Amino acid sequence: MTSQITSAILGAALAGAILFLVRRDHLHGPYAVWWFGVAAATFVLGVFPGVVVWLGHVSGIGYAPILPIIIGLSLVLIRLLKLDIDRSKQERQIRRLTQKLAILEQELDRCSGRPPGDARSDDPDADAT
Amino acid sequence: MDSFGRALIAVSQADAVPTKTCCCSAATRLRAAWPHRASFAAACRRARIDQPGSDPQNRDPLDAAASVASTTIPLRSADCLAVIPARDEAATVAAVVAGVRAALGCAVLVVDDASTDATVAVARRAGANVLTLPLGLGAWGATQAGIRYAQRNGFAGVITLDADGQHLPDSLPKLFKAQAKDGANVVIGTCVQRLSRAKRIAWQYLRMLTGLGLGDFTSGLRLYDGRAVEILAGPTASLLDYQDVGVLMLLAKNGLAIAETPVPMLPRREGHSRVFASWPVVARYMLHTTVLCVAQLDAGRRHTRAAGGAA
Repeated sequence: MTSQITSAILGAALAGAILFLVRRDHLHGPYAVWWFGVAAATFVLGVFPGVVVWLGHVSGIGYAPILPIIIGLSLVLIRLLKLDIDRSKQERQIRRLTQKLAILEQELDRCSGRPPGDARSDDPDADAT
Repeated sequence: MDSFGRALIAVSQADAVPTKTCCCSAATRLRAAWPHRASFAAACRRARIDQPGSDPQNRDPLDAAASVASTTIPLRSADCLAVIPARDEAATVAAVVAGVRAALGCAVLVVDDASTDATVAVARRAGANVLTLPLGLGAWGATQAGIRYAQRNGFAGVITLDADGQHLPDSLPKLFKAQAKDGANVVIGTCVQRLSRAKRIAWQYLRMLTGLGLGDFTSGLRLYDGRAVEILAGPTASLLDYQDVGVLMLLAKNGLAIAETPVPMLPRREGHSRVFASWPVVARYMLHTTVLCVAQLDAGRRHTRAAGGAA
């Protein structure tokens, strides 16, 4: 088995797995686009390893096989950064939703008169606001 | 009333801590306010914005921002909401709620930060409204929930204090007096001599890093006016973890005037500080705060003013 066949099998398998996950809705919208791009790149580089040599020649890198590793690592770092940005955004949303839920629950209880000792009802000035 | 409640009232009535031991002089405070950015003379020039009759033409933008902030309306305690974040504070929260209601006559909101004890029931029996957070959000998350509640219900301001009883109810009106006297948007009640050596070192470091000349960065005893409430209720403040440097820097960035006033405080009765729980926690806190400060290095817009009561 030549190295080209091995890389083609690996590239096609990875691309196929990603496509399968995208088709099964395991990856949401923008993530699916990103991973679809990764699948396409993996497939092309696996089936046509000569592209790597050509890219190395064009970019002036003497040892061409290092090029996909550098690009891959850079993309992984970018992806991790984006992941943390998204997590921070979600954390903010979760915190605000939690607060809003508590406020609305309190208002619901107040309207239905469930909890005892409602301090707000003792304060007529505050009700006026 | 339990023995803790009696002790709390006795100490607050005695007001045993002399004011001068709680604070430093105006000059010392000004030096502390501008330790690395400007000379003491420059700090004094900035401080002149508080003096009537100063020439508005000669004010720099920093002073102008402070001048805008100084046009605040004095808050009435009855128009404000007392927000008490609490996690597993069933032993003390009733006395705190009763003390606040007696001292300020305002509505009291206890924000239960996913307690596992009877904090909610005890607080309700004491006459407080209670928000129950389904997830623990930490001290600041709970406080912000209360601030959002106050904004939603049209309160003029918010006073926050801890549920563990270290803040004396009878000292709460001092914050309103300081706010009315100095026209500050935010007043922090501090008791500097109570700080441990570790905290003093940490605060000195944070003063140097932030340019905020405050005596205590984590005091939970604070009075916020409507403008501060509006800022702190927003999404920008939702990713903060403590009611400390991040909150103060956000307020200062928006041109709000921050003042301190000395108040007596009791030692913590139970539990421990969430910031100074252990050395690893302190190290993590200082690292996070340092990153936060470095990310917010636009010191030109920051300013604080010492409260008259603190000077």
